[in-house]
Amino acid sequence: MHVLQSKAPLIVYIDIKSPYAFVAIRPTLALEAELGMQFDWRPLTLDIPSYLGSAEKKKGKVVSSKGRSQRTWNAIRYSYRDARRYAERQGLVLKGTEKIWDSTLPNIGILWVMQTARDKLADYLEAVYPPFWRRELDIEDISVVETCLQEAGVDASGFAAFASGPGRALHDELQPQFHSSGIYGVPTYVLGDDILFGREHIPYIRWVLTGQKGPAPDIAYEIA
Amino acid sequence: MLTVYLDFKSPGAYLAMKPTLALVDRLSLAVAWQPFLTVERDVPKLGKEETVGESHRRVRAESQRRLAIKYAAHQGIELRFPATPGETDLALGALAVIESDPLPYIQASFDAYWQAHADLNDEATIRQLIDQSGATISTELSEVRDLLDAAQAQAEEAGIVGAPAYVISEQIFVGREHLPWIEEIARASD
Repeated sequence: MHVLQSKAPLIVYIDIKSPYAFVAIRPTLALEAELGMQFDWRPLTLDIPSYLGSAEKKKGKVVSSKGRSQRTWNAIRYSYRDARRYAERQGLVLKGTEKIWDSTLPNIGILWVMQTARDKLADYLEAVYPPFWRRELDIEDISVVETCLQEAGVDASGFAAFASGPGRALHDELQPQFHSSGIYGVPTYVLGDDILFGREHIPYIRWVLTGQKGPAPDIAYEIA
Repeated sequence: MLTVYLDFKSPGAYLAMKPTLALVDRLSLAVAWQPFLTVERDVPKLGKEETVGESHRRVRAESQRRLAIKYAAHQGIELRFPATPGETDLALGALAVIESDPLPYIQASFDAYWQAHADLNDEATIRQLIDQSGATISTELSEVRDLLDAAQAQAEEAGIVGAPAYVISEQIFVGREHLPWIEEIARASD
């Protein structure tokens, strides 16, 4: 699978552990429904410590931190506060994570749902994202991911084999292609030749997918 | 009251001017323009051997530039980045002490940086921008860097982390993508 190629009008890259992706899910699903299209949703599992340093929290307090300057910390804190207020506008709860999770399994779950139950994708994202950001899910436990699949109405039998076999291979095939293709974070939208990071591009995406009528819109976080 | 923090070398702040002023006009908002010194980095060169972090930073910087140029074009602006990001301390320091309407000075400074790649850390250039824009300033330019340092510390203490940043009803928003929410707050408090 090539990271920039799809038969769908739009590729959407997300990662369960990204707060930016979390607050982009519902607006992107809403756009998909509004346009009556099916987007190609795919996982991008972020390697956060490689570019933001790492940290671990216990009971809301940072107990270890590596490679983060004060400026980086301030920016991270602002980003979380910002994502949290937009999540709240969507009726969602966003609690800062206590560690940097390995989100490979629920991300392979996206591939599983796309291959076996495409019409359940929104349900799967709803079964995973909100509880994870309420700190209710151990997403590194495959049985937890299987339960999310079942809650979404997706048959989870075969998922374990998929996650350790072809699903893992597909996931791992995508990862090394991202940087060389100009993709570095989530949510990223691939729209023809455009690679757009962030949900602020949704107005532009809508404009393109509806025939570019009128002037091109600026970036904006649309509010309901 | 809407407070807007900006830095002339920030492409995001430059591209925010038009939509911000449109909002201000639409709602007849009072605006306080404040300086905020951002860190603008050149796009890292592709190395023979990059760590994942280095590769991430390079790809992110390239993407941010590409998108800034794209959205600038939507505004009818041909955005040309200088060969290396310039310093804007003196121009921002002067902004902190302008006693008249600072908007003409702000627009002249943005244009000088982005259209002429002027040195906004050069005293003669800043004097020219002040004169050209009709700004009133009674503080010596030699003193404004210290004032900028103090304003920067105060802004960082208040939670400002970049530019453009907006403060309205005690909420901080960084980036023009927040203008819909800012407008909602402004209308609610009207």
